[in-house]
Amino acid sequence: MEALLTTAFLTALVTGAVTAGIPLLLAGLGEQMSEKAGVLNVGIEGMMLAGAFAGFFAAYMSESIALGFLAGALGGFGVALLMALLCVRLGLNQIVIGIGLTLGFEGITALLHYNLFGRSYPRLPAVETLRIPGLADIPVLGPAFFDRPLIVYVAVLLVFVVSFVYRRTNLGLYLQAAGDKPAALDVTGIDVVRIRTFAVLTAGTLAGLGGAFLSEVGAGLFVPFMTNGAGFIGIVLAMLARGRPFWVLAGAAIFGACLSLTTALQVAGVNVPTDVIQMIPFAAVMAVLIIFGRNAHLPAALGIPYVRGAR
Amino acid sequence: MRAYWKKSLGALTMLALMSTASLAAEVKTIAILAPEQGNDYGWNQQGIDAAKAAGEKAGVKVLVAEGLGYGDVRPTLRELAGEGANLLIAHASGYNTAAPEIGAELNVPVAIVDMPNAIKAGKVADYTLSGHEGAYLAGRLAAKMSRSGSVGIVVSGEPPSWNSQSAAFAQGAKAEKDGIKILYAVIGPAAYADAAGGKRVTEAVIAAGADIIFGQGNGSSFGMLQAVETTKAGDGGKVYFIDVIGDKSPINKGFLLSSVLWNLVPVYDAMIADLKADKFGTKNYTIGLADDSVKLLKTAEIPDGVWGEIEAVRADVVSGKIKVEPVWDAAKLHELVTALK
Repeated sequence: MEALLTTAFLTALVTGAVTAGIPLLLAGLGEQMSEKAGVLNVGIEGMMLAGAFAGFFAAYMSESIALGFLAGALGGFGVALLMALLCVRLGLNQIVIGIGLTLGFEGITALLHYNLFGRSYPRLPAVETLRIPGLADIPVLGPAFFDRPLIVYVAVLLVFVVSFVYRRTNLGLYLQAAGDKPAALDVTGIDVVRIRTFAVLTAGTLAGLGGAFLSEVGAGLFVPFMTNGAGFIGIVLAMLARGRPFWVLAGAAIFGACLSLTTALQVAGVNVPTDVIQMIPFAAVMAVLIIFGRNAHLPAALGIPYVRGAR
Repeated sequence: MRAYWKKSLGALTMLALMSTASLAAEVKTIAILAPEQGNDYGWNQQGIDAAKAAGEKAGVKVLVAEGLGYGDVRPTLRELAGEGANLLIAHASGYNTAAPEIGAELNVPVAIVDMPNAIKAGKVADYTLSGHEGAYLAGRLAAKMSRSGSVGIVVSGEPPSWNSQSAAFAQGAKAEKDGIKILYAVIGPAAYADAAGGKRVTEAVIAAGADIIFGQGNGSSFGMLQAVETTKAGDGGKVYFIDVIGDKSPINKGFLLSSVLWNLVPVYDAMIADLKADKFGTKNYTIGLADDSVKLLKTAEIPDGVWGEIEAVRADVVSGKIKVEPVWDAAKLHELVTALK
């Protein structure tokens, strides 16, 4: 038990929680925007995988983490383009296409990895951090929150930006209308398909960034299937948060914290079944978001393709 | 009359020989299904390479379906059976529901893992393997090499094979140094490909004091390796990694202390032989130190003196002087690790 009370261990746990939460936050924010506009984006997992591979590949080849993140975002954007084309433009079933994209990119990224890195398994060096003077010196919390890679601060900042967009801008209204009453938006002269396309592409970009975070910061390498369901957890967070970006942040933070708690309990030697301990993150996120987020709502036209004039 | 009995006996002998010959299964093709690509320096690679080697020895064609993931493999099983496979080796515990089902449907024998009680003569064989004897040696090695007096066990799931190795590692470490601390952590439920989780949990275990990590994780073990490469031990020195099943030496950057190596060729050899002799599904297959199907990898990081001591322990295990019993059950493993703390 004394292992739990050292600064080094507590710092590692809190740092690990933040690292585990950031990809979920990015994926969840993206999914939320897509859902707000009426597109149930089940392909988020595939977009994350594409971002993870593209990000790792670019960072490894160029030795630049920043280029890696750019490539990761583009990777997710590329998969989202397919989603936008097939689901928003052509009106195909969003769930089927989403699952198809996820399975497809699981295979494509595994194949690319097999051919390019299958025998060498290259690893990236530790990512440089941006230290916030003063705050970074706070014991335990300082290194975990204020001595992190730039992308961590950007991800948290995005919550404020997205929240501002939803509450204070016309774009936020258009997104809301595209998901709730697309026909009403259409009669005002706003192109519903364009708004939904924008939402899906943004979702892909954010998911790609989340994937790149996983491979560049989280693991420092790429292995096939490495998202391990993170995209689907992002979808759950977005659905439970129901349109509120700060609830996605809360969900991701709770999930990350509970993951670290599971490690702490195991290292402390708490003798309960591992399955029970590992249920904690999922149970905690659902409990908190169901209790506090139940008054929010899902868009009325979620998952329904928009066809002008259709009844 | 005597001539009649002679003829009858001869006919009966011929009949017996012919019926034995007709009972013996003809094995022309075998197939192996693996969840990840056969290049993981671990479970998948060892399985696929061993199936190919066993097939070559027996003059049998080997079909390989790799990178199948952990979902439903029924279509792949049907496809491989359709291609003429006389044996389907389902090389993942996640396949041990689908494989017997499809095997029964298409009348093709299947081999599965992690279900020792599921064997069925002529239909289902189980090869729940454990390198627990090797893991015991790894535990002895870790305790000898640890500077901090703490060693970590990080796993990406709790299948029986890994539980037995985790338990044996803990027992070995404790047998070597009574006061050693053993820190045990599971990354997540079936987190076999979760490299980021592997890195995160390993970093936490290192921060709790471990300077040697015994890792079992398929794809996630690369995350564990990355963690030991980028994280310093409490004393500022190196953290070492002990791997299982495969040999990661080709990608080692000086942090790989050893590996509990598995050789699955004898297992698949025996399976093919049993299939041909109509004994398939009548016994469980094992690996161990005695026939070198389990070995501890010697790396440059292990001093010769320490390796000599480990070799002596190996001899004691092989001779039966030291008994290492497998602990397959997760609950019993937790009890054991807790009791040893």
